[in-house]
Amino acid sequence: MVLVEDNPADTGLVREALEEHGVEGELIVVTDGELAIQFIEDLESQPVPLPDLFIIDLNLPKRPGREVLERMRQGAKCQRVPVVVLTSSDAQRDRNDVERLGIGQYILKPSRLDDFIALGAVFKAMMGSSVE
Amino acid sequence: MGNPAKQPTSGSDPAAPLESPALLLAPALRGLLANFTEALIVVNADWRIIYSNPAAATLYRQTSDCLMGTIPWEHWPAAARDEIQRQHRRAVKDRTPVELQKSLGDGFKEWLELRAFCCDAGIVAYYRDITVQKKVPEIHNRLAAIVESSDDAIISKDLDGIIQSWNRGAERIFGYKANEIIGKHISTIAPPESVDEISGILRRIARGERVEHYETKRKTKDGKILTVSLTVSPVRDASGTIVGASKVARDITERKVQEEALRAANAALTRSNADLQQFAYSASHDLQEPLRMVSTYGDLLKKRFGGKLGPSGDEYIGYTIQGALRMERLLKDLRGYMQATTMGEAPAGEIDAGGVLDKALANLEAAIVESGASITRTALPRIRIHEFQLQQLFQNLIGNSIRYRSQEPPRIHISAELRGQEWLFSVQDNGIGIDTQYKEHIFGIFQRLHGAAEYPGTGMGLAICQRLIERAGGRIWVDSELGQGSTFFFTVPYRES
Repeated sequence: MVLVEDNPADTGLVREALEEHGVEGELIVVTDGELAIQFIEDLESQPVPLPDLFIIDLNLPKRPGREVLERMRQGAKCQRVPVVVLTSSDAQRDRNDVERLGIGQYILKPSRLDDFIALGAVFKAMMGSSVE
Repeated sequence: MGNPAKQPTSGSDPAAPLESPALLLAPALRGLLANFTEALIVVNADWRIIYSNPAAATLYRQTSDCLMGTIPWEHWPAAARDEIQRQHRRAVKDRTPVELQKSLGDGFKEWLELRAFCCDAGIVAYYRDITVQKKVPEIHNRLAAIVESSDDAIISKDLDGIIQSWNRGAERIFGYKANEIIGKHISTIAPPESVDEISGILRRIARGERVEHYETKRKTKDGKILTVSLTVSPVRDASGTIVGASKVARDITERKVQEEALRAANAALTRSNADLQQFAYSASHDLQEPLRMVSTYGDLLKKRFGGKLGPSGDEYIGYTIQGALRMERLLKDLRGYMQATTMGEAPAGEIDAGGVLDKALANLEAAIVESGASITRTALPRIRIHEFQLQQLFQNLIGNSIRYRSQEPPRIHISAELRGQEWLFSVQDNGIGIDTQYKEHIFGIFQRLHGAAEYPGTGMGLAICQRLIERAGGRIWVDSELGQGSTFFFTVPYRES
């Protein structure tokens, strides 16, 4: 599973959520947009196993999450991986951007721990749910 | 024809009969006088009229028959008669034209020139209308006074551009005295870059065109460059031939400077408003992130260490989380307020206010059920407003009515009526009411009258309402007394569909 997130506190919460729902396996954390695009390009060009799920923040250092999503959409391999957009932005523009790309489930980062932990169930359900 | 020797005087022969014009005048002469455009009368030695031609009847506003036997000055007002009589007699005696004024009864006076002489038949007097000749200098003087007193420069020039006249306004604006500039070419007052346009203007004038409110630059005697607005019209001679141009030049330098300053100030204000909105938008979003950390990690602290930090520890964590959550709500409402400010610029379509109220009530369902509120309404109209604006208004106002309820279950009544050019909506409740002194205050941002523990809320609801309704072209106010419930009113402009 790959988490593109620059805020270690949010990374901690995602870990909590996954643990709580008994999701096992490695969580690869990528901390900026540029590294995320590089990561996708490596995945596309090298014979490595695909992750079960991408969790991507939109507000990232260096390159915005939107560009990461666009790159992912273009990749023959990556476009098959399910995506969760986990963001604190409730701006309509961001929602429209994501909807236009036609990938990913848009989820607002909750303000209460219980709600955040509950997201673990969503992540679990989406893992391996192949796209197309 | 005049014969002073036989000049009759008044009363010289009181027994003289009124002779008929038929006796006096040969038919040919009568025919001639009937078509004579000037008023002519013949009087006897007593100044009694014995003949009047049709023009005289018109002048005296009488029929010729009625004039017979009357004395000319009887037809003037009593106050003027002595003077008019004196003038008539002088005309005969001095054999000189005299000028008379005759009131036409509608305030307009005409000037008459009277000539009179004696002949065998009596005294012949004829009146010529010289009103126009008398008025021309008067009109000329009046126009000249207007031109002289104008703040604008009024200049005339011939078709070669040679200045013919130059008023005081022109002296003041351009600094040249009339006597130094008349006879010079108009380009004397044009800065080099504007000289070329003068021949163009003169060509247009020669074609009979008018140049209106043409903005250009002109140069004063001391070299200062002015922005002027020119209106130039052709001047024609009596035969209609264009012989020159009259030009009115208004100095708009100051106005231009002010306009530019106003434009710059407006642009700066727009920029600073946009900056401020951007700042508030960013701040309300960016502040949200660290707050979310505080609240979620507060929760995590409580989950992991709750009960292990002592009673004070749990209490402090509780305050931390509550504080963060409250601030999140404030930021959310602040964003709502900014949205109310910026959204709804497009013209609104017509919507059914009743349907929108239903939607608002559906969103308030939980609070309505929990409080046992009863909600009544009159028929609501179709109005022009954005649906989100009206729904938010209803939701905030009815939500307030429920929140600020008294011991009684809330009774809320929504009504609308057409008042002149606007719909007047009201939301009336039986709640705790508002102290009159706070009636304005409550519409301010983050303004609250109660502690958060007593009545929760961020104090943004009514501020948002006010912004929404102002955006929609209406107003909002409250009528309330403490303990007596409140009625919130808002208006929506009425527009024919």
